[in-house]
Amino acid sequence: MCSEFCIETHDLVKTFGDKTAINHLTLAIPNNGIHAIVGSNGAGKSTLFRLLLGVDTPNSGSIKVYGESATNLSPTTRAKVAYVNEEHTLPTWMKINALLKMQKHFYPKWSDTIYNNVIGFFDVDPNQKIAGLSRGERAGVNLAMVLAQQASTLILDEPTLGLDVVAKQSFLEALLFAERESESTIIYCSHQMEEIERVAENLIILEKGQLTNSSTPEAFVERIKSVMVEAEHLGLSASSLKAEVFEKLPGFINTKSIDESYQLTFVDRTLEQITADLNARSINISFAQNVSLNQAVNAFLSKHHSRPSQAKHTPA
Amino acid sequence: MSTINIQITTGDPRPIFKQIVDGIRMQIADGSLVEGAKLPSVRGLAMQLTINPNTVAKAYGELTAQGLLESRQGLGLFVSEHRQQLSEQEQESRLQKAINAFVNEVAYLDYTQAEIIKETTAALQKITKKGN
Repeated sequence: MCSEFCIETHDLVKTFGDKTAINHLTLAIPNNGIHAIVGSNGAGKSTLFRLLLGVDTPNSGSIKVYGESATNLSPTTRAKVAYVNEEHTLPTWMKINALLKMQKHFYPKWSDTIYNNVIGFFDVDPNQKIAGLSRGERAGVNLAMVLAQQASTLILDEPTLGLDVVAKQSFLEALLFAERESESTIIYCSHQMEEIERVAENLIILEKGQLTNSSTPEAFVERIKSVMVEAEHLGLSASSLKAEVFEKLPGFINTKSIDESYQLTFVDRTLEQITADLNARSINISFAQNVSLNQAVNAFLSKHHSRPSQAKHTPA
Repeated sequence: MSTINIQITTGDPRPIFKQIVDGIRMQIADGSLVEGAKLPSVRGLAMQLTINPNTVAKAYGELTAQGLLESRQGLGLFVSEHRQQLSEQEQESRLQKAINAFVNEVAYLDYTQAEIIKETTAALQKITKKGN
């Protein structure tokens, strides 16, 4: 089955009791490339993965893997997808050796070279039991085995969590070259912006089960604009200037009060538009700031992020 | 093959691809990458910097489009001969920008206009001699 997209969802909904984990999500992930999925905790990333693998069934909408419905995947299509869960769950009672033998048997494209290249960075003995490995070592074994399968699509749920600096570096290298040399599609979710900036070509942002960005990281940063305004320009002291003044501005995301100034962040507005909007309220911009990917994602996600209600902040 | 001395900074407002373009351009400008020098392979530089090889490919593409690098069939990428890449208009605007910055810097110093011109001319003559 030849399809331009390895994964396509249409109007997908998944609820758990009263909680909507995936909220009318329409998403298409093209073949090849490294796609990073970012979102706050509980944004629906892991649920999306479970739906993709057919482990969970959606309430409504469709989800397709290589053109086939994920609720009814053929063994051939299922074999194209490799998955690593957050916990690196492996059979604890097995020895690494035995597990390897079993895995090799399952995957016709298995590569010992790739396995050895990755596992070489971990001090594990093939005769060790999985139960005896540290979290990082278990992650290493799991990731080495997944990369060695040479699957067409790799789905990784926070793969580098718990890896030491050296192991992380070698894993990322293996990942980068898996994509380029065996033309895999890698879909991976992480909270580590530094890593995403280095490896991801496509940045997918999920918020409360909805898609809010799918573009290159550079294009995403372009969506976010940050400006500084000085309270004294307003003829007001900083304390008398309330955030509500800014909240009505189009595209406004958040504000931070820094000494006598305010840093304002906007989404999907040009600098000219922001200047005009502020000027109309007799506010002048002192300067516009460039933002990094980390700052852009942080500002973007903060808008809808859960936070303690104001009342809890004020001492009684 | 020449080695590329670039440090990638994550969390920088410049995207990584731009950091590579700027870094290589700077190395060509300061002479650490000479005309005809061979650049590392896409894979090699990606490995060195632990970044996506496609990002390196994109940066190389940009530098090639700007005429700073040229690809030789089957041999790789090389630093091309120096040619002026900027349009007349762009050159004029850059000159104006540099002059404005310079004037700003010297305006508050206690030199007469004649003295400033004399010093500037002398400095310019030095680089012209080098250039010839």
